[in-house]
Amino acid sequence: MIRTKELNLKNGSRIVVIGGGPAGAFFSIFASKLAQDLGRKLDITIYEKKIFDNQGALGCNMCAGVISESLVQSLALEDINLPSSVVQSCVDSYYFHTQNGNIKIKSSRIQQRGIATIFRGGGPKGNAGKDIQSFDEFLLHKAVEHGAKVKHIFIDKINLNDDKPVIYAGERLQNDCDLLVGASGVKANSGKIYEKLGIGYKIPSTIRATQSEIELGSDWIANKFGNSIHIFLLRIPGVKFVSVIPKGRFITVSLLGNEPNVEYIKMFLAHPVMKQMLPQGFKIPDKFCHCFPKINIKGAKNPFADRLVLVGDASSVRLYKDGIGSAYITSKAAAHTAILYGIGKQNFEKHYLPVCKNLDADNLFGKLLFSVNDFVSYTALLSKGYFRTIQQEQADLHKTTHHSDILWDMFTGSRFYKEIFIRTLNPRYILNLLFTITSTSLLDMLSIQPKK
Amino acid sequence: MSEKAFLGKLYNDGDVIVEEGSKSRTMYVIQSGKVKVVKKEGERETTLAFLGEGDVFGEMSLFDASPRSATIIAVGEARVLAIEHEGLLKKIKVDPTLAFNIIKQMSRRIRNLNSKLSTIFRTITDTNDKLKKFNPENIETIQKELQKLYDTFIQMDLHTH
Ligand SMILES: Cc1cc2nc3c(=O)[nH]c(=O)nc-3n(C[C@H](O)[C@H](O)[C@H](O)COP(=O)(O)OP(=O)(O)OC[C@H]3O[C@@H](n4cnc5c(N)ncnc54)[C@H](O)[C@@H]3O)c2cc1C
Repeated sequence: MIRTKELNLKNGSRIVVIGGGPAGAFFSIFASKLAQDLGRKLDITIYEKKIFDNQGALGCNMCAGVISESLVQSLALEDINLPSSVVQSCVDSYYFHTQNGNIKIKSSRIQQRGIATIFRGGGPKGNAGKDIQSFDEFLLHKAVEHGAKVKHIFIDKINLNDDKPVIYAGERLQNDCDLLVGASGVKANSGKIYEKLGIGYKIPSTIRATQSEIELGSDWIANKFGNSIHIFLLRIPGVKFVSVIPKGRFITVSLLGNEPNVEYIKMFLAHPVMKQMLPQGFKIPDKFCHCFPKINIKGAKNPFADRLVLVGDASSVRLYKDGIGSAYITSKAAAHTAILYGIGKQNFEKHYLPVCKNLDADNLFGKLLFSVNDFVSYTALLSKGYFRTIQQEQADLHKTTHHSDILWDMFTGSRFYKEIFIRTLNPRYILNLLFTITSTSLLDMLSIQPKK
Repeated sequence: MSEKAFLGKLYNDGDVIVEEGSKSRTMYVIQSGKVKVVKKEGERETTLAFLGEGDVFGEMSLFDASPRSATIIAVGEARVLAIEHEGLLKKIKVDPTLAFNIIKQMSRRIRNLNSKLSTIFRTITDTNDKLKKFNPENIETIQKELQKLYDTFIQMDLHTH
């Protein structure tokens, strides 16, 4: 048997993290914390090309900015409590706008404003107030509090040929390190620098979303959108799904269409259902903050090698949900592997890869659940029956809320998809749903309005 | 406190967050403000501790499923995030280090408790010694010692809910 040499982090070992988004910050925080618990000190430097306090695209990591219920709670337990300067709105419900009407869904477990909405950067371009603190900056600052250094430099090349990984920034910088952490996400094209290493790393598959920020004023938003994230299932041609997220004075419109296209946003804002949510005479500004960021939809291949590990979007992420929560999971797992077991390829393979594989496998169930959901929303008969079932459940949260809980967990990312999927197979509830669908269609045929 | 900042649930001064004897396994993390831990003995109410931002409470019921052993009351406006127990237990199963912070806070409280108990035992022993040498002229000193003993109990920073 060939024994590979043991690679470990020692007191004073140098770690370079490329990317200071959530994954890079989480890795640094958890590596420092655990090393400290073991009486070791690490020398961690994060290289981040952006300054997150900047407004608009310059400071923004482009996402819908929903910090899931599950992540808010995990962070609180990690002693990372989100301050009010970071939290733009606090959400307690999801509001679905469908062809069959509207419905608000609340959690049957805990009723509180447990979901946070945030801006990743300093807010939309031209944001006059100074009331927005970037979420990414807040996390990066936490990493600094734990001892990491931050350098605002773009890394354009890495090398693994020598004994230790080396990073380069043009002519300006050449540094080696004991461990290199790739936390550069998928939105930029940095994945290529790892692919070129010949370690078998393959950039995750992605699709592009369309997203924009629109200022409507905090009073209007509080009145019209309340404490809910709004999901629109309106069958707009080319548009699969739109969510509107309240953020203080702004709403973020996050849209998944056939292709990235700002026209979809315009079509959506002009849709009669959305029009009711906008101030009278609202005109789409000529210029408004919008972007077409990439979403990781299929995990990377081989996100590790000797002295190298990739985390966050650059490795595996939960499908359509809780990307920042996934960055928390993968970064923490990679940090703990590096500190507790070592930084060799075999260490990451044994202790880190299973975590990524779990996320990837869970996404298969996620895909199935979202397809069923699409099928139900696009099949009038099913959609009506399902809608009615949810309506009945939401009328009294103390009774059975099986279907609502499934929707809640799917859209909030509070539970893993596999667990949700297993719950959908419960025969009692399938029968209950079938009964409601049949009775709804019968009532429909007889043109009788069901009792509220 | 601005409405916007209201993550979790907002409690006003005097609001009861957790009731002694009630059955619930939810744990809480204070986001801002202060709460007090109160134990009721008949008519008498003893404040065992004050807790602030970042402190957790209700963690014992999370692990042992027993009824709440103390009442938690908001002191001024307090913003408190509830942690859903089933989800948390599932997460701890996958990542036990998530419980580190709770364990750290619990061990800090046990240390605190130990040091308070040792003060109490010392005071009891001293008082006992003095009582042994009872002399009616000493009655005032003994009364003072007993008062001190009582005060120590009352001010104990015990956190035992
Ligand atoms: C439309 C859309 C909506 C989303 N909505 C949500 C949501 O509501 N909630 C949620 O939890 N997740 C959401 N996500 C997913 C979420 O954005 C990602 O999962 C999360 O940002 C991943 O964090 P990361 O740190 O891995 O990557 P990123 O956030 O992309 O951070 C990578 C960082 O690396 C830096 N960087 C890259 N290359 C280099 C380099 N060569 N040198 C120096 N620095 C570099 C970048 O500047 C960036 O700061 C959404 C994604 C999209 C596209």
